[in-house]
Amino acid sequence: MTRTFLLARALCLLTSLSLLAPSPSFAEATGTPLPPPSLQPETCSVEGLMDSIRRGLQSKSPAYRRYLRELLKESAVTLPEEQLRAAFERETEPLMVEHLAAALAAKTDRGESVATLQLVGKRASQDADPAVRAAATRALRRTSAEEHTGDLYSRLVRDASPEVRMEAATNLIEDNQFVYAGFHGPASDTAVAAAAASSDSKVTARILGNISTAAISKESAEQLHTLLRGDDAEVRAAAAKALGGVPAPEMSRARQTLVALYRDESDVGVRTSILQSLARLGFASAVPELRGLRNVDPRLVPEVDAWIRALSTGLQEWSLILREKQRLQQAR
Amino acid sequence: MRSPKSRLAALTALVALPTAALAYTAVAPYPSTVTATTYYSSGTYHGAVDVANSRCNYWGAETGVSATVYWNVTVRTSGVVCNGNGSGNQNEALLNLGSGWSFRQWHWIKTSDSYDRTCNRCQVGNLGGTGNATGAHSHFQKDQYGTKNTSWYSSYTSKGEALDRGELMGYI
Repeated sequence: MTRTFLLARALCLLTSLSLLAPSPSFAEATGTPLPPPSLQPETCSVEGLMDSIRRGLQSKSPAYRRYLRELLKESAVTLPEEQLRAAFERETEPLMVEHLAAALAAKTDRGESVATLQLVGKRASQDADPAVRAAATRALRRTSAEEHTGDLYSRLVRDASPEVRMEAATNLIEDNQFVYAGFHGPASDTAVAAAAASSDSKVTARILGNISTAAISKESAEQLHTLLRGDDAEVRAAAAKALGGVPAPEMSRARQTLVALYRDESDVGVRTSILQSLARLGFASAVPELRGLRNVDPRLVPEVDAWIRALSTGLQEWSLILREKQRLQQAR
Repeated sequence: MRSPKSRLAALTALVALPTAALAYTAVAPYPSTVTATTYYSSGTYHGAVDVANSRCNYWGAETGVSATVYWNVTVRTSGVVCNGNGSGNQNEALLNLGSGWSFRQWHWIKTSDSYDRTCNRCQVGNLGGTGNATGAHSHFQKDQYGTKNTSWYSSYTSKGEALDRGELMGYI
C-alpha cells in the first residue's frame, strides 16, 4: 500500500467522521447525553477531499496552504479520474481551479495518461475568465506540459490577459531551470520560440533574460540574432544576454555579431548585456575584444575594466567569473 | 470533537515535505533496505546509497526523486540480470542538476518504460542487478564532474534502515 493511498484513505476517513459526529455545542445546549457516533461506510470522493481543502485554504498560513496543495497532488494518483475531471470542469473559482489543475497535471507526471494534462492546457488557453486561465497556467508550472501540449506556450504568451502572458513566461523559465536543468534542447527551443512569438516586449525580455540557452538549436540561435535587431531596448538586452550562453557551434558567430552590435548600439543597458555575453562566450580569450571596445562608450569603461580584471584571473567556471566580477565592482 | 483545522493539521504528520525550496527530495523506489552508504562493510569507499530488495525483476524501479524532472535514460544491458554482468554495464537514469552536478540511479532491468522521460516518480525499469552488482538493488549517487557527494543522504538515512516506497533517502 503506497503512502499516497494511505493519505487519501486517511483524509477520507477524517472527512467522514466530521460529518457523522454530533456537534459538542448542540450536546451542551440540550443537556442530554448523546450516544457515541456510529461509524458508517462512505465512499471516498473527490468532493469530500475538495471540501476539506476548501476549508483548509482559509488558513492564514502560506505553508499550510502549500501543504494542502501537495496533499491533493499526492492524492490525485488514487482519485478516480472521471470525478477529478468533472470537478475541474465544474469549478470556476480560480484558486480551486489551480489546485484541481495541479492534481490533474500530477496524474500525468506520475506516469498516467497525458489526457489529464492536456485538459488543463485547454482550459489555460480557452477559458473565458482570464483569472481562471492564469490559474490553470500556474498549475502547469514545473510539469511535463511543454512535451504534451504542442504550441500551447506560443499561444499563452499572446493571450489577451497580461497576467496569463506573464504566468506563461514564468512557467517557461522555471521549467527550463528546475525540470530540465537548462540542458534540454527542446525545452530551451520552446522558450525561445514563445519569446519570439510574444508581442509583449516585457514577456519576451523576461523569458530571454532568464533561461539557459546552452542546448538551443541552430534555428533558435537564429531567432536570437533576429531579436537583437528589434526596436525595444529591453528585448535587445535580453537577447544579447541569451546569446552569451549558446552552444559551441554558435559561439563564433555570436561573438562577431555582438562586437558589431556594441559599436552601433546606443542603449547603455544593451551594451552592458553585450559585454557580459562577450565575457561568457570567450572567457580569457575575450580580453582583446573587450580592450578593443573599451573606448567606444566612456560610460562603460569601468564595466569593461571590471570584466577584463575578472577574466584575467583565469577562473574556468562562469559562475565564479561572474562572482569575481561582482566582487571587483563592490570593492571600487 | 476536533475542529476541521486541527483535524487537517494532524495530517501534516503523514507527509514529509521538503524544507528547502530549491532541493529535490530523494525517495526510495520500492520497499527496501539500505545496504550500503559511504563505505561498504569491507571498508571500501562507496559514497552513495544502495537500497535492495530480494525480489529481482518484480518491483518497478521508480525514479527516486519526488519532483517532475527530465531523466536521461541509458540502456547498456537489455536482458534480465539480477546478480551483475560486469562493471560499466549498468542501466542508468541520470538527472542533470546543472553546474556539473548529476544524480544517478543504476542497475535496473530494461522494460518498455526505459526511455528518456520527464516525470515524477515514474518507472524506468524493474529492480535488477545490471552492471557491477552481486544482487538486485538500486544505487543512488550524486556527483559533480565525477566526484561523489555524500552530504545529500548522510543526515537522513543509514545502513540497515528499512524504507517504504516513497520514503525519504535525502535531499539533492
